[in-house]
Amino acid sequence: MIEVKEPKKKIPVVGLISGMLTVSKYIFKKPVTVQYPEQKPELPDRFRFRIFLKLDDCVGCTLCEQVCPNHSINMQKVDRENPRNKRKIYPDVNFGTCTVCRNCQEICPTEAIYLDKEFETARTRNSFTYSPEELALKENEVIK
Amino acid sequence: MNILLRLQELFSPLGHLASYILAYIFESLFLVIFVTISLIVMIYVFRKYMARVQQRIGPNRVGKFGLLQLIADALKLVGKENILPKNRDDLPYKLAPAMVFVSLVLAFTILPYGDFFYLGSFTVTHSEVTIILLFGIIAIMPIGEVLAGISSANKYALLGALRAVAKDVSFEIPMMLSVLAIVMMASARTPSSLSLESIISSEFLPYGILEPIGLFVFFISMVARASYTPFDLGESDSELVSGHSTEYSGMRFGMFYMGMFGSIFLGSLIVSILYLGGPSGPLESSLGFIWLIIKAAILVLISFTVWLSMPRIRIDKFINFGWKYLIPIAMINLILAGIITLGWGL
Amino acid sequence: MVMPSSDWVELNFGPQHPSMHGVLRLKAKLDGEIVKEIEPVIGYLHRNAEKICEMTYFNDNLIYFDRMDYVGAMNMEVGYLEAAEKLLDISISERVKWIRVIMAELSRIAAHLVWAGAYGLDLGMLTPFFHCFIEREKILTIFTEVSGSRQEVNYMCVGGVYQDITEKAINEIEDFVREFPKRLKDIFNMLMKNDIFLSRTKGIGILDKETAISYGVTGPMLRASGVEYDVRKAEPYLVYDQVNFDIPVSYKGDNLARVLVRFEEMRQSLKIVEQAVKKIPDGPYFNPKAKKSLMIRMRGEGDVYARTESSKGEFGVYIVGDGGVKPYRVRVRSPTLRNLSVLPELAKDVMIADMIAISGTLDLVFGEIDR
Ligand code: SF4
Ligand code: SF4
Repeated sequence: MIEVKEPKKKIPVVGLISGMLTVSKYIFKKPVTVQYPEQKPELPDRFRFRIFLKLDDCVGCTLCEQVCPNHSINMQKVDRENPRNKRKIYPDVNFGTCTVCRNCQEICPTEAIYLDKEFETARTRNSFTYSPEELALKENEVIK
Repeated sequence: MNILLRLQELFSPLGHLASYILAYIFESLFLVIFVTISLIVMIYVFRKYMARVQQRIGPNRVGKFGLLQLIADALKLVGKENILPKNRDDLPYKLAPAMVFVSLVLAFTILPYGDFFYLGSFTVTHSEVTIILLFGIIAIMPIGEVLAGISSANKYALLGALRAVAKDVSFEIPMMLSVLAIVMMASARTPSSLSLESIISSEFLPYGILEPIGLFVFFISMVARASYTPFDLGESDSELVSGHSTEYSGMRFGMFYMGMFGSIFLGSLIVSILYLGGPSGPLESSLGFIWLIIKAAILVLISFTVWLSMPRIRIDKFINFGWKYLIPIAMINLILAGIITLGWGL
Repeated sequence: MVMPSSDWVELNFGPQHPSMHGVLRLKAKLDGEIVKEIEPVIGYLHRNAEKICEMTYFNDNLIYFDRMDYVGAMNMEVGYLEAAEKLLDISISERVKWIRVIMAELSRIAAHLVWAGAYGLDLGMLTPFFHCFIEREKILTIFTEVSGSRQEVNYMCVGGVYQDITEKAINEIEDFVREFPKRLKDIFNMLMKNDIFLSRTKGIGILDKETAISYGVTGPMLRASGVEYDVRKAEPYLVYDQVNFDIPVSYKGDNLARVLVRFEEMRQSLKIVEQAVKKIPDGPYFNPKAKKSLMIRMRGEGDVYARTESSKGEFGVYIVGDGGVKPYRVRVRSPTLRNLSVLPELAKDVMIADMIAISGTLDLVFGEIDR
């Protein structure tokens, strides 16, 4: 338990001037802004955003669909030969509602669905849903 | 020799009257351009300064170093739709921004700028009573703000206008009292003590050194006049959205905005003319204008720092401050000025 | 002249008003500049989080708690997990406890920094805001380093944390602990050296002890009114009984006291982080009982109430389980809602400017009030 002290009483204008000096001191410091499109920020190692899917590994167990808290994942039928995925269902992801909670990555038994550093997903298409095939593509290969 | 006479000489083949009229028109144009350019430069400097103090970069996209940013912003404001409130009082609503801006430009015509190399002085109005004219015109600007607040039929705007009135009444008296001290001191040395030019030319020391109290009072009044942060009571964006200019958009809002920055510049110019010796300085002959601008620029930077580092004062505290502290201080200053004048006269 | 109450002007502040943090709406009755009556209206950010929590698995609910007090998300997670782990009967290792303490305290600093900057803006100061956010950004970088997201971190989970804290993150935390006090001092000076700031806060909005207690006010607001109550001391959770820190109190109860208490709290949090980083033991970061594949199979029965000290006050979570994989009912005791409820009491017969200054010290975050 400590009691906080109020600042001591000072001569009126002195405080104002020292406050102004504190403020103007920073004019000599370097700006911290990152000029985004030209200058990419250095992302921390664990930063994750975009979801990817390895179509060959997915066994169609629907665990990711169940665990997604926002129901961003829906299973879709994809006509594709994969001996491990007999039901031929794969997840799609609606990025409009995905909160990047990484639960799907955690629970996937085969590590087919995973998140990666890519984050520039701006698009002109009026839907943020990535179909299973699109999830397998790199971001710049997806038709926007 | 000033610009006016030079222009008149240029037009003299057209006859006496016509040449003078043309000269006045051209010089007024010249001045409007000067005011606009200096405002643009000021707003640019402000934004850069603010950004650097906050460790940001500031405008840097439009043009080299973002120099054209302000022009882009102005174009945006001009191109914007004017949204008019339904219950407005039409004439005052539309008149108010123009009033603020025009009186600002008018005030610039009166200041003695000093010589600028070959061109001479920029001053348009030459009169024996410029000090009265100047403060008369400055007093018009708050009326524009009050009109804006009252006519836009908005409670926030109305409260802003009420605050603006209360504020203006409480700082203008100390402001005029401290100007009076200067006039008094000047009157001992020059017969035409109401003219800014003769006030400057008759001083042997800048008045700011002789009466620092007056400088202090006057600077505070000028801060209050320009209504930026410690005293932006009429606008107070965190309380009254944006006070009297809440309902304005497009170029009308731009005029209020320019009015504010213009007031800062004008205030700095007036302070440096009255208290810091204005255009006088070493190498006086042709550099007067430059000296004035340098002095004003330093004051402008100080104003910006004040703006960026202070919270807003409460309206009743400000009125208290105005009536209980500023006026007595200004009175003391007047008495001191009287003593100095007497000593001087002896 | 006193105006009859029928002549009072009714004025709406918010929900879109520059100083109404988030979406607070205040219906104010004004007599000139004087606020006569004030009525907060809430609900503009209602997202039904408590109900949604009944429809998702225990572990998934965390993301809704992230979004309650979104400026200090880690504290919310700690609050929820305190309850959920008790209900699901899952223990956590020592290492996890220390990691959680570090994260909760960093998050408290981050939340207080947002408040400090916004409070400066409320009073019209433009500069402290940016300095606060530059520092906050460093904390968020640490969060990204450990969890992968900046703000809505979703770092903790039932039984531990998702990912172990790395050496790099610890280095970053140490750097932050070393460098933050300098900037904090500057921010503090920008506010406290200023006479105008003092005149706006000193003696304004005095909340006395009795009113505070009867309204259920908690957190820094309560401590500024002279009640020495902090869940971290009164009922230590995690490992708060093993770290050495003080609880700042003030007996003044005015705006200034609240400001000072929050600034002192930041310093104390920093002290906790500094100790915790040194003490953090080795061990598993995850309880295998709650392992990943079991995330949707954890069942809980009974009801628990757990309380923690978030940056805003006492944050309580009540969970009822009916033996299923999803909670039967989740109820949150939001500290900010109680703190807001005292505003009509505080902002009576004050000027508009003071009303703004007072509502700034409440530290409102609407994700938590409306839920
Ligand atoms: S990251 Fe979370 S929200 Fe996004 S798809 Fe996966 S489980 Fe759903
Ligand atoms: S992505 Fe993983 S969790 Fe989802 S259906 Fe495929 S295998 Fe199952």
